[in-house]
Amino acid sequence: MRPVLGIAGYVLREAASRKFILAFMVGITLVLAVVAVSLRLEVIDGALAASRLFGKELRGNIQSIDVALRPVYQAAAFIVFYGGILFGIVACSDFAPGLMSPGRIEHLLALPIQRWHLLAGTFLGVMTLALGGTLYGTTGLVLIFGVKAGYWTVGPLVAGLMACVGFAAVYAVMLTTATLVRSAALCAASGFAFMVGGIIAGHRQDISTFFEEGLSRSAFLAVTLVLPRLSALAEAAGDIASSTPLEVRSLGTLLLGVFVFGLGALAVGFWRFEGKDY
Amino acid sequence: MEKRQKRRVWLVMAALLFVVAALLMFLGQGEEKGPAALEVDFPRRMRAPDRERAERRRTQVLPTVAPTDSGTAAEPSRPRDPLLAALPRGPGKTAVIIEANALRHSPIGGLLLDCLMRDGGKQLEEFRQKSGVDPLQDLDRLVVTDEGMMLSGNFENARFKDLLGERVSANYGEGARVYEAGESSVTNPDGTTVKRRDTSAIATWNNQLLVVGKSPDEVKAAIDRVEGRGPDEPPAISESSTYGEMYGVLSVEMIARLFPPEQAALAQRLRDVAQNVELHLDASSDVALVAEVKGPSADDVTDLGKSLGAALSLARIKAQAGEDKDLAQLLDFAKVKPDGDSFTLEMAVPLAVIQERLAFCREERRAAEGGRAPETGTQAGVEQAPAPAR
Amino acid sequence: MTVTDSTPAIEVTNLSKTYRRAFRKTGTVALRGMDLSVPQGSAFGLIGPNGAGKTTFIKSILGIVQPTEGAVRVLGGSPEDARIRARIGYLPERLHLPHAWTPTAFLATVGRLKGLAPDPAGNLRLLERVGLSDAVGRKIGGYSKGMRQRLGLAAALIGKPDLLVLDEPTDGIDPMGRMEVRRILQEEVQRGTTLFLNSHLLAETERVCDRVAILADGRVLREGRLDELVRGASRWLARFAPGVSVEALTQAGFVQGRADGVYHVDAGDPAVLNVALDRARAAGALLVELRRDGMDLESVLLGTVGAGASRVEVAA
Repeated sequence: MRPVLGIAGYVLREAASRKFILAFMVGITLVLAVVAVSLRLEVIDGALAASRLFGKELRGNIQSIDVALRPVYQAAAFIVFYGGILFGIVACSDFAPGLMSPGRIEHLLALPIQRWHLLAGTFLGVMTLALGGTLYGTTGLVLIFGVKAGYWTVGPLVAGLMACVGFAAVYAVMLTTATLVRSAALCAASGFAFMVGGIIAGHRQDISTFFEEGLSRSAFLAVTLVLPRLSALAEAAGDIASSTPLEVRSLGTLLLGVFVFGLGALAVGFWRFEGKDY
Repeated sequence: MEKRQKRRVWLVMAALLFVVAALLMFLGQGEEKGPAALEVDFPRRMRAPDRERAERRRTQVLPTVAPTDSGTAAEPSRPRDPLLAALPRGPGKTAVIIEANALRHSPIGGLLLDCLMRDGGKQLEEFRQKSGVDPLQDLDRLVVTDEGMMLSGNFENARFKDLLGERVSANYGEGARVYEAGESSVTNPDGTTVKRRDTSAIATWNNQLLVVGKSPDEVKAAIDRVEGRGPDEPPAISESSTYGEMYGVLSVEMIARLFPPEQAALAQRLRDVAQNVELHLDASSDVALVAEVKGPSADDVTDLGKSLGAALSLARIKAQAGEDKDLAQLLDFAKVKPDGDSFTLEMAVPLAVIQERLAFCREERRAAEGGRAPETGTQAGVEQAPAPAR
Repeated sequence: MTVTDSTPAIEVTNLSKTYRRAFRKTGTVALRGMDLSVPQGSAFGLIGPNGAGKTTFIKSILGIVQPTEGAVRVLGGSPEDARIRARIGYLPERLHLPHAWTPTAFLATVGRLKGLAPDPAGNLRLLERVGLSDAVGRKIGGYSKGMRQRLGLAAALIGKPDLLVLDEPTDGIDPMGRMEVRRILQEEVQRGTTLFLNSHLLAETERVCDRVAILADGRVLREGRLDELVRGASRWLARFAPGVSVEALTQAGFVQGRADGVYHVDAGDPAVLNVALDRARAAGALLVELRRDGMDLESVLLGTVGAGASRVEVAA
C-alpha cells in the first residue's frame, strides 16, 4: 500500500503545482466568500421571511427554511455532480498521460514498485483531489447557510461524496484510456463520452422507447446495462441534498454498482499497463 | 512470458467486476420508475376548463333597456351567470361558492360522499323522495353568504310546496317565487304545543336558483340583483375568480374566528391589517388551498405574511418533532407569497393523506350497505362518475 | 539462490525484442538474440551506432520493456522483482522532472518510492555531491539541462544502489561538470557498485569504463576489457627523422600517418618488423621512435561496426 500512497502523493504534489487547479480552489473560495458576505437571510421561527443579495431584496416565498433551501441545495448538488465531473475530466485528463510521458515513466517503472501500484496511486491521488475539492465546496456551502439560516444538513456533503463516486467511474475509464493511448485529449474525450453514456444509462428505460422493439432496443438496453448510471446517481444526489424522498430503489446498491464499474475499468487498465512496453 | 499469463488475471477480474456492477446498478436503480414526487396543483388562476365552465353558465340575458330620449339605441346586454349576479355586493361581504357538482366528481368528493352515506344512503334517499331533488345529480353550486345560502342547479322536479309546507308563497319579479314562513306549531317533548314565527324566507328563480335568506327582504334583494334591479356595484366574486372547487371572498372577521386560541394574537393582527381574503380551493387531485390576503398598508401586510409563514413553519417543525408525518408533509407545501399590499397563502393536503384519514367512512358505508345490492344512484354514482362539468 | 561475487551483475542470454504494432504483421526488431554478461563491480560501457538497440537493452534489464525472447538476470534475479529493482539506480536518457518541485522534494519522493526511510540530510549531501548545493532552494523548472542531469544522477544514487544504469549521464553537462560526474562515477565503482554506462561520448566511456560492449543492429559485435579492445595486435608506429623518402618507406611496407614523420607498419612477428625497418634504414631513414600502434575507442567502434556491416552484406 505504501507505494500506492507514494504515487498518490506524487500526483497530489503535481496537482498542487497546477495553476488552474489552484485557480479553481480560489474560485470556489471567492464564490463562497461572496455568498457569505453579500447574502442576508431573515429567518423567523424557522421560516425564511426575506432574503437580500447585495442589499437587494430577492422575491421569494415565505416558507420553512429547509423547504426554501431545497432548490438551492438541489441546484448545488447538480452543479457539484455534473460540473465537478466535467471540471475533473478537463483538469485531470493529463495527469496519467503526463505520468506516462517519456523520461518519466521509465524512471518510475525502474523504481521498486509494481506497475499496478502506479495506476492505483494515480487513481487514488486524483480521487483525493476530487474529494478534497468537493468537500471544501459543499462544506463551505453548508456552513454558510447553516450559520446564516440556522439550518444544518449533511445532505449536500453526502451529495458531494456521491458525485465523487460518479467521477471515480469516469476517471477509471480515463486512466484506462491513458494506458491505451498516451493522449490527454483522448482521455478527456473518453471521460466525456462515458459521462454522456452514464447520463443516457440512467434514463435507459425512457430512452429505449425511442428504439424500435427488437434487436435495436435490446442492443441499447444491453449496452446501457453495463454503463455507470450517472444521471440516476445525480438525481439521487439532488434528492439527498434537498432532503426529499429518493426515487431510486436502493441508493447503496446503485452507488456500489457505479463504484464497482470504476474498479472494473481500472482492472482493464491494469491489464493493459502490465503488458505495455515504454 | 510468465508475467503475460499473470496479467490475464486482471482481465478476468475486470469482466467479473463489470458483471457485478451491472447487476448492482440494475438492482439499485430498479427498472420500474420510482414513485413520482408529490406535486400539488394550486389554483392560482383560471384555466381553460374554468373559462369554458364560466362561459356555459352565462345563460341569463337581461331585457334590453328602452331607447333613451336622445334616440340612441341601448346596446344589448351580455349574457351573464345568474348565480354570480345574485351574490351580495360591496366590500367586506362574504360569499363562498362550493362547486358541488365538480367537487362531487373529484376524488375527494367520493370520499366525502362515503362519509355522507355512512348510514348506507338512507337519509339521502329520504330527502330525494320527499323533495324531488337529487343532490347528487341536480345540485350544481352551493353559495354561503353573510345573508344566507344559495343553491344553483336543475330544480324542475323539485316539489317546493311539499317541502316548504306551511309557508306562504307569492310570485316576485319576472321568474321568482318567494316563500315566507308563517306561524308554525312545534310540539314540545312534554306534549304541549307552542306556536312560533319563523322570519326566514326562501326564493326560487326559474327552477335554477334557490335562495335561502334570513328575511323575505333579503331573498327579494337577491332576486332583484339577478333580474337587474340591484345596485351597480360588482358582485362579491367576479367571474374571473371562479376557479377551483370552492372559492370566494371571506370577511377578515370570519377568517380570524377560524384561528386556534393559541394564535389569538395572529388573528388580531389579521383583523387589524387585512381588508378581505379571497379563497380558492382545488380538489381535482389533491386538495390545494390558495388564499389571497389584501390590506391597505403594504408594510403591514408583508409583516403579517411573515408572521403567518413563521407560524406555519413552526407548526411544521412541531409536526416533524411529534413525528406527525402527514401533517409535516401537508405543511411542506405551505408557503406565503408576498406581493406588495397583498400576499398569497398556499396550503395543501395530499389526497393520500385525506384518503387515509377518511378511510373509516368507506368502511362504515360498506358495512352499512352489508349484503344489500348497491343502488345505482348512490354506489354506482360514486364509482362510475362522469367527468365533472368544470 | 545465493548471489556470489562471481555472479554477473547483468546476464542476458539470447535476448530478442521485436516491437509489434497494431494491425501490422511485421514489427521492428530492436534486439536479435543478444548475449552479454556484465561482471559485478565492473564499469561497463555500451557503445554502438544510433538504432543499435542500446536503449531497448537498458529498458529490458530494468523490466521496462518485456523481451520477446531470451532470459535476463540482473543482480542474480529477475528485473520484474521489485526487490531487485530496489538495488538499481537508473538515470534515463531524457529524464523528465516535475518543474514545480524543489530538488529536495523530488529526492524525498524517489526515496519514498524506493521504500527508504526519509533522509533529508542524506538528500542534501547527495545534492552537494552532484554540485547542486547552491540550487537546493530553487524549483526544478528553473534548472539548466546540465543541472537536471545532475539531479537525475543524484536520484539514481539514492539508497546506495548495487547497480547504476546510466543512459547518457553527462548529456548537457559542461566539461567541468563532466569531470565532476566522472569523479562521482569512479568513486561509486571504487565503492563496489557495478556501473553500466551508455554514452555517445566515447571518450567518456573510455575514461570511466574498464569493459566495453559494441552493439550494432541488435547484436553484440565485440565485448571485452577496454585495453584489449583498443590494443592493436600486429600494428606498429614508427617515427623517422625529417628528410626521409616517402616513396622508399612505402616500398619498405610503411604507410604514412597523419603527423610528419609518422608511419604505420603491419608486422605479425618481430622478424617481419625488422625486415621492414632494415629496408627503411637502407633507404636512408633514421628511426627515432617505435611502439605498438594502439587504437582509440572510436576507431574500434568504426572498425567493428564496419566489419560487422560487411559480414552482414556478405551473409546477405
